Parts: sequence; structure tokens; C-alpha cells
Amino acid sequence: MKRTLFTALLGAGLIAGAAAMAAEEWGIDGEKKARFKAKVVDIACELTGDCPANCGAGKRQLGLLTGEGKLILVAKNQDIFAGGVEDLLPFCGKEITADGLMITTPHMPLFALQFKKPEPDGKWSRANWWGKNWSKANGGKKSGQWFKSDARVLKELKARGVFGIPGLKPPKE
Amino acid sequence: MKRASFFHALALAIGLSVTATAASAAAPAKRVQVTGEIIDTWCYVTEIMYAEGTAHHQCAVWCAVGGIPVSILGSDGKVYVILKVEGDADTVANPKIVKIQTHKVSVDGDLYERDGVNYLIVSQVADDKGVVNLTHEEYGIQPFGK
Repeated sequence: MKRTLFTALLGAGLIAGAAAMAAEEWGIDGEKKARFKAKVVDIACELTGDCPANCGAGKRQLGLLTGEGKLILVAKNQDIFAGGVEDLLPFCGKEITADGLMITTPHMPLFALQFKKPEPDGKWSRANWWGKNWSKANGGKKSGQWFKSDARVLKELKARGVFGIPGLKPPKE
Repeated sequence: MKRASFFHALALAIGLSVTATAASAAAPAKRVQVTGEIIDTWCYVTEIMYAEGTAHHQCAVWCAVGGIPVSILGSDGKVYVILKVEGDADTVANPKIVKIQTHKVSVDGDLYERDGVNYLIVSQVADDKGVVNLTHEEYGIQPFGK
């Protein structure tokens, strides 16, 4: 369980050592390596017809629409505790080749994006742009432990605590 | 005048065409009421850690700020991925959504079922009981402890 957890959480770091731009297993039940072409879409737009410019400019959840019409929710990129929106947004409405893990559990299917390549002839890149953008926005600070120093996180935890209940604190050991 | 009418008609036709395209992409929605806990979709679905209640609250905040989709774990056991809340489609790292992680809520909304995923457009948050699922005594603080 611990191995699975840390592989899944820190997959980016493990993959960083790999030479090939190809998906690596994270040890999650129901995972399967997948590489496919698909169009980057704003999921709310795809479902409801409410379609702002540029897929909502990074504020909406994005997905991948295959040629067969299958809509895939992208829930994760390679950065720890981060999703895939910032890796997909530059390709809104365009076709990419996505590489990562299709994870199918009894709850639902979702996709962890590890690499992406714009079609028809773009270059492969890691799905770690959330972390890169976070670093840029935080004076070049490394993003590996971003969640420990992120101002939004600190503000929320200060207001309501680690349990979400003001005043309820972890017991002292 | 004739030219203006022509362009007006053309613009209208294009507008209708665009509307029709958007509408054709739209799937039928079901009106639903969902009661459940606001959760981090990734940790819960993959089961890489215990991902409910106070034990997972801090991690849920991290993941919501990191832009991972937020869902409601319904009392029916289903996961409902939130795409809009009361007209606001800003669901990526939205402070309003970060703030209600782990809350038990009752919502009204439109459900879109597509390729095995339940997507929810929340039209109204009818009730918000705050954080009531106290799991930290049993599960500690996920995933790293204190």
C-alpha cells in the first residue's frame, strides 16, 4: 500500500529518470498504460453547449475527446497533487497524442496524463506544466513540495485547520 | 439595404449553425438531488489512500488547489464530478470550492452521464453542514501524517 501510494504521488520524480517519453506504471489498481490521439475539450462545453473562449482559460476542467466520441476525464498530471488542465489548455480544441495511465476502478474511469504531443508534428513534453507554472509564479521556487508553501493552501489551513474544523487540532504526541 | 439584409441573414444563419453544433454536442441531462461529501476525485477513485472525512481534509485542499477535479461522494456511493456551482464554471482551484472540501452538502443540479463518469452541474447548494465526517482518529492525517 505504501509503495503504491508513494509511486502514485511521486510518479513524476520516478519518471524523470526515465529516458523515453512513455508512460510508466504507478502501481494503482486498475491502471493501464494508454497512448491515443484525441482533441482537447472543455468538458462543460462538450456536455452542455456552454462554450467560452479558450476552454475557459484554465478555470474549467478539461478532457480528451477521441475520434470515436469517447470523452475522457483528465484528473492528474505528473506533478504531485496537481491536475492536467495546465498541460492541456495550450491545445484547447486541437488534437494531441496523450500518453499516460487509463485508470478504471469500480468508482469510475479517469486518466493520468504523463506526456503529451501536439499533432500533427509537435514535440513530446512531460505533463508537468502545473509545476513549471507554479515555479514561475513563485519566484523560481522548486515545485516538488509546492503544497507546503503555497499561499492559497496556507491561507485555507490557517482559517480552518488541517481537519477543516476551526479549533480542532491534531493531538500532541 | 439589401446588402445589409443579406449579411444580417447570413450572420443569423451562421449563428443558428453554431448554436445547432453546440446543441448537438450536448447530452441529455437528468435533474437530480445529491447529498454527500465534497471529495478529491483522484485520491478517492484510485484508493491510493484513505480519502474521506477529516483524515483527508488537508490533502483534499492540496488537490483542489492543484486543480484536480472535485466531486461529491453521494450517499448512494456514486462519485459526481462537479463542473459548475451555482452558475460558476470556475472549478479549477476556485477558493470557493477549496473552502468547502470535506463538507457534507445537499445540492440540486443537472446530471450528465458520459462514458462511465457522472458529471454534475450544481444549480443550487441547498444545504451545507460543514465538516461532519470525523475520520482522523482512526486514519490519522493522510497521506503523510502531521
